[in-house]
Amino acid sequence: MRRRVAITGLGVVSPIGLTVDTFRESLLAGVSGVGAISLFDATGLPTRIAAEVRGLPVRGRDRKIDFALEAARQALDEAGRPRGAGGVSLGVGLELFSLDDVAAARTGDALPAALGERLTFLQTPSDLCVHAIAHRYELRTPPLVHVSACAAGTDAIGAAFRLVASGRRDWMLAGGTDSMINPLGVAGFCRLGATSTANARPAAASRPFDRARDGFVLGEGAGVLVVEPLDEALARGARVRAEIVGYGNSFDAHGISEPHPEGRGAWQAMARALQDAGVGPEAIDCVNAHGTATPKNDPVETAAIKRLLGARAAEVPVCATKSMIGHLISAAGAVEAIATVLGLEGGWVHPTLNLDDPDPACDLDYVPHKARAHRQRYALSNSFGFGGQNAALLLRAWDARR
Amino acid sequence: MDAQPRPADHDPLSVTGLGAAEGPCDPTPWLRQRKLRKFMGRQDDLAVAAAGRALESAGLGGAGLGERAGLYLAVGFIPFDGDELDALHAASAVDGRFSMRRFATEGYLAPNPLLTFRCLPNMPAFHVSINFDVQGPYLVTYPGAGQLYAALEEARIALESGAIDVALVGGVAHQRNFLVEHHARRLGRPSEALEDAAGVLVLETAARAARRGAVTRARLLDCAAGYRPWDPRAETRVLDDRFEEAGLDLAGFGAASLPVALGGLPPGRHRHRLASGDGIEAASTWEIA
Repeated sequence: MRRRVAITGLGVVSPIGLTVDTFRESLLAGVSGVGAISLFDATGLPTRIAAEVRGLPVRGRDRKIDFALEAARQALDEAGRPRGAGGVSLGVGLELFSLDDVAAARTGDALPAALGERLTFLQTPSDLCVHAIAHRYELRTPPLVHVSACAAGTDAIGAAFRLVASGRRDWMLAGGTDSMINPLGVAGFCRLGATSTANARPAAASRPFDRARDGFVLGEGAGVLVVEPLDEALARGARVRAEIVGYGNSFDAHGISEPHPEGRGAWQAMARALQDAGVGPEAIDCVNAHGTATPKNDPVETAAIKRLLGARAAEVPVCATKSMIGHLISAAGAVEAIATVLGLEGGWVHPTLNLDDPDPACDLDYVPHKARAHRQRYALSNSFGFGGQNAALLLRAWDARR
Repeated sequence: MDAQPRPADHDPLSVTGLGAAEGPCDPTPWLRQRKLRKFMGRQDDLAVAAAGRALESAGLGGAGLGERAGLYLAVGFIPFDGDELDALHAASAVDGRFSMRRFATEGYLAPNPLLTFRCLPNMPAFHVSINFDVQGPYLVTYPGAGQLYAALEEARIALESGAIDVALVGGVAHQRNFLVEHHARRLGRPSEALEDAAGVLVLETAARAARRGAVTRARLLDCAAGYRPWDPRAETRVLDDRFEEAGLDLAGFGAASLPVALGGLPPGRHRHRLASGDGIEAASTWEIA
């Protein structure tokens, strides 16, 4: 029998807040975390803006490890340690980030000797994040490392949900971490023409669903959730933040860099999440969109949502967290799931910034500019990856009477 | 820490197809869209060839799999060739030293623009999905032999819950390149032991396999995995997977080890044990038909 699954702890490191409380306040206030890149000298690159995490001490050169450890600490501090054997399921970004290491390796220069400093491009396979978390919290079940591109954070939470619901894990830390704001990362996206070049107006650069959108803005950060069986959470007196009730994922099986034109894969992922939960589209009260602000994603996601919700689509608020924090790639789905939980708890939908002139092909209610009070029971959180990997989570507001 | 085998909760899952590929290989017999060939790196070639062979051996070759098929793939360390790094460095250097300014104006344009597609770890899954029309659920995990067991566990959940009819479960590792050989060298392991390989199993429930008259090549009798946490900031990773299976030396095959091993076993009951360098210990028992 499938167990009900609760979220009992949240941890976030984001460009608009280093705690869940500050993240929530920034979401409600519509704060943009986008600015000029300060982590390296981006002068000369077509894109020179990003949403950086500021104010968090970083011990090693691989920023995403520190992000993940901090988010995990926050989540477990809040939840307390659930009973039984824990595990970790994390979407993790690539290790390609340290160009000076590349130069050193090819010219015969010595690489840094200290182990902490050696956590760099040539010495850090990305999965070290999960081992660092597992070691710190003595998590003795095999970790899961998800590399499904921009869907990885959502897939990581979905996999944890399935493992806990099926009784194969007692509890899990689940989420994602990433930082691609480095020379190779930013230049790689520039080479693909994927990122916004609105360098003169950083706060206005991330424009999901807007006619003037010109690509995504890179962000960085981590989000981690404590996921455990609902009955166990209640028995130990933990605060239940929300329930995970459904998860679906799919392949577009269509194009390498463009989504299926009718949003087939995106629709399949959302429909499977609903089917998994045993609820119909009439139950959906809000959608946290993938909403990248790329020319191709936004209308296709809109079409998929319309297919899913039918005539109700126009009534259901759809918001894009990336308008504030940029695209956190492997961490995006995790941080956006946390934004969704906060909205479910608080009875509001955060705004989609910079939506001044909606694309005619994007004709839903995207909650432009200002947050809105909106009571919700069920909310979807979408993530669609480069390469046609799509994932959706269905979350339910916690109600002790249910 | 020891992995305690756990019997399958349901009827044993059937392996109805097996496919493997090693070294440089040609995936073109399985490509539906030849125009995508230029986007493919070696890990993509290997994954498509292994999946194609597995599906053919399962009697599913040529059929689009659709929504009721899932893909569960463990992908090895990110590959990066020295030639690409040399091009990047040469176009970014001033007086022999790396210059961020020159990189930002010239260097980043030097590598092949398709390089990103060829090394991303989710791309083998993309190429398998598009060439065999896999539209079902997936797990794409990284980077060690132990993660193959995570993929196997996810596939079991999906098959046993009835979410899918067919699961492609496999591993792919492109390891003969500058970056992965560098990882091996700095950890004291001879890079010569590394292999470029992929292996894919077609898994179905026994009932479904029987219904469509598929030949069962093996059955998964039990499977379990454990883990010893370790501190990557204090310990050097031991990039040394150890396998126990008579007559097989699979340590160099990385994430592809288990499916490659199954393809080489004689009929009978076999225990496959793995102690991977990333702290995962796993064991499974298979009945080879």
